Amino acid sequence: MEIAQILTNAVVVASIYGLIAVAVSITWSSLGLVNLGYGFVFSFAGFWAWVVAQNVSEWPPIVAAAGLVGGAVGGILICLVVFIPLHDKPNFTTRGMIGTLAISLIGSQALLMQFGPRAKSLPELFGYWQVDIAGMALTSDKIGIVVCSIVMLGFVVFWMKGSRRGLEIRAMMMNPHAASIVGIGIRSTGIYVMALTGAMAGLASVLLSQTYYIAPFSGLTPLIKGVSIALCGGLGSVQGAVIAAMILGLTEAVTSRFLGGQYVLITQFLVIILILIVRPRGISGLLDKAREQ
Amino acid sequence: MTDTQPAKLRPITWHNPLEPWGQDQGNPELTSVASPDASDTWRANTKYKAKTYKVGRLKHYVIWRNNGQRLWDRWRWWPTRRNVLNIRGLYNRKTLKAEKKILDRRPIYWAICFALLVIGPAVFPASMYNTLLSAGTIFGIFAAINVCWTLILGTASIFTLASYAVVGVAAFVTTYLSIQWGLPWYVLPVGGAFIGLAVGIVIAIPALRLDGFYYALLTLGLNELCRVFFTTSKVFGSASGGLYGADSFIPDSWSPNAQSLLSYYSAFLLLVAVLFLFRFINGKQLGRVLRMAPEKREAFAEACGVDYRRARIIIFVVTSAALGFIGGFYATLYRGTAFSIFSFDTVLLGLAMVTIGGIGKAEGAILGTLVVTFLDKVLIDLGPTRLFLIGLIMLGVVLFTNNGYFGIKKQFNAWRDKKRGEWRSMRSEKGGEALPEEATERDNKDEVYFLRFDKMQRDYLKTLICPEIIEEHRQQPLGQHSATLERLLMYFRRAPMDDKYALQRNAETGRYKIIAFSGHRGVSPRVVEDREYDTIGDGYHAIFVRRVHDLMES
Repeated sequence: MEIAQILTNAVVVASIYGLIAVAVSITWSSLGLVNLGYGFVFSFAGFWAWVVAQNVSEWPPIVAAAGLVGGAVGGILICLVVFIPLHDKPNFTTRGMIGTLAISLIGSQALLMQFGPRAKSLPELFGYWQVDIAGMALTSDKIGIVVCSIVMLGFVVFWMKGSRRGLEIRAMMMNPHAASIVGIGIRSTGIYVMALTGAMAGLASVLLSQTYYIAPFSGLTPLIKGVSIALCGGLGSVQGAVIAAMILGLTEAVTSRFLGGQYVLITQFLVIILILIVRPRGISGLLDKAREQ
Repeated sequence: MTDTQPAKLRPITWHNPLEPWGQDQGNPELTSVASPDASDTWRANTKYKAKTYKVGRLKHYVIWRNNGQRLWDRWRWWPTRRNVLNIRGLYNRKTLKAEKKILDRRPIYWAICFALLVIGPAVFPASMYNTLLSAGTIFGIFAAINVCWTLILGTASIFTLASYAVVGVAAFVTTYLSIQWGLPWYVLPVGGAFIGLAVGIVIAIPALRLDGFYYALLTLGLNELCRVFFTTSKVFGSASGGLYGADSFIPDSWSPNAQSLLSYYSAFLLLVAVLFLFRFINGKQLGRVLRMAPEKREAFAEACGVDYRRARIIIFVVTSAALGFIGGFYATLYRGTAFSIFSFDTVLLGLAMVTIGGIGKAEGAILGTLVVTFLDKVLIDLGPTRLFLIGLIMLGVVLFTNNGYFGIKKQFNAWRDKKRGEWRSMRSEKGGEALPEEATERDNKDEVYFLRFDKMQRDYLKTLICPEIIEEHRQQPLGQHSATLERLLMYFRRAPMDDKYALQRNAETGRYKIIAFSGHRGVSPRVVEDREYDTIGDGYHAIFVRRVHDLMES
């Protein structure tokens, strides 16, 4: 059952990267900001959770909550430093993207100076147990990761559909200009969006640290994977991101089964490029609904 | 408004002009109450109130001496007729001497900078000689890469983040070929150019369909793909941190110092060659075509017959070949390449270099490279702080400038124009005077001057009003008045017909009411107030008081 094993791994990894992809997607479509600072938010939240685990308690809910809060704080930081000063300036999209990159450079160096280059590991959140389903051994962390990210994603979708703030964010997605005319504050919405998406990145960080370690530069790979999934699914679309995460996870599983691990990125990018050539705005992005700003 | 200092009051004596001919009624002369001088109002209104500074707004040019015979002589790039400097010859209007001024001094600055780079090794301090020389070599190569990159970002408006990946791929493949097949050093840059061309064509295919940030995100991924591929591949030396062993043009027999000098000057020559490429793409047909099609106005350019997509892709592919050339050169200069060329930090530093100076300008790319290379390679003692500093500079540049250091001038000028408009609107008085903006839109300029005069006159008449005048009018609404009151009444009588006050006599009661004319034929007057006056004199005075009130309100 090697292929099943690889498939479950792909699903686990895709559910983590899917969180970041949805975060990138929501930020782009509601604020028009290409936020490449999630790598920093990711490491920041990881270190935040690590500090809490070291000093306060290793009880899993507290560590996970610390990750969420750390991510939200990192997101709000980016919002305050980059989005709010720049959102009404000329060349906002370019400058915003470069600004978030600068934040990620500064932030990673600050983390490096503060905590040193050694990787840190978080306590096990989901304990040690495993379930056998149809001959597959599913370990506790895999189930926990998938369940946590589905819960988080479900919460985000529910909150966006059901709450007043979510309505504001969706209005910003449809037409930011009209939204600001009917009294939706761009800056306050920016803070909600960045806090929410930062919390998603923070959760992804805590979940991924069950498999890997926390290091100042560990946010880069999740960021690039997340951005690729968001791009492939269509920026601004949650279901597109989910579909793309599944397709790319499947590609990864199939490639590493039949070709070998070093070709994973190549096939993934070929798939992404093929999808983008057929549909330049991603799987469920509509060409004429592209955000103009 | 009127002068701030209290106007000096002086009595006005009215002389009856009919007096020499003799008349049976009226006084030969009449003194009126003391009132201000009209010329004070005139002076206050015609004074230039904008604050002026000694240094003018005109661009400051250095004026060079010249003589009439050489006024039109120019240096030219042989064998073309293109001027080296954009010089204008002129005669001074006051002294009538022949003068010349250089309108565009950038070629001089470029020449100075090149000269500094050439004589650099001779003046480097001995304690840091080796550090500066190797930093200078890196500066030359990175500046060349960044000039190419800014050509893609700025001129072609394709937001790629994979430029360093193209350089790296070319460098790795040429190194590998040199090791395997023993290619000589002079083949490597050319081979690199072909590899760059091929890579450029491959990654240009998505650029045809994707625009803006979709492409940026894709190329970010491509960069990571190259990094993972080359780092994990056994062929390219995954264990040793890089691939080394390519043939080099630097002879091993030379002293280390001579080797460093040779690499420094070869990197400098590479930079000069890339600048020529920049000049020949950005300043010639392709660049000019694309200046017609900036972002978001592509549709207009297309309607004008500009094939902007073709131009962009040509620039992208040609520049990719140039980047490949630089990659091959890099391989032969350092005898190989490290994996760090693909790292995300390299892309970030490169982006910092390009943004600090300003995207789309060769001088911007070079200045940014100078700043970042200096911080990164010369101030090594600072440790991780130096990357932190670079990030801070990058963030500051992005937050406060629209387009880097070389965009500051444009941004400052726009800001100054905005402020100038604000100040002008703050100091222009809205006393019925036409604002400068309105004045240009009125066809009849007489109206503009009339409004200006009328405002001035009202300013003056306001100073005349005092209880004595009103009392004088109350006692005698018609007949001979003092000069001051007469001036007021003349102004009131000359008012335009619309909304001019009049008296209406009720035929039954014989009492008077104040009405106002509509000013339009066939539209009846409106009643101003319900109060009725017994005598016509009371009515006249009521109208007078009402007009005085209107005057003071205006």
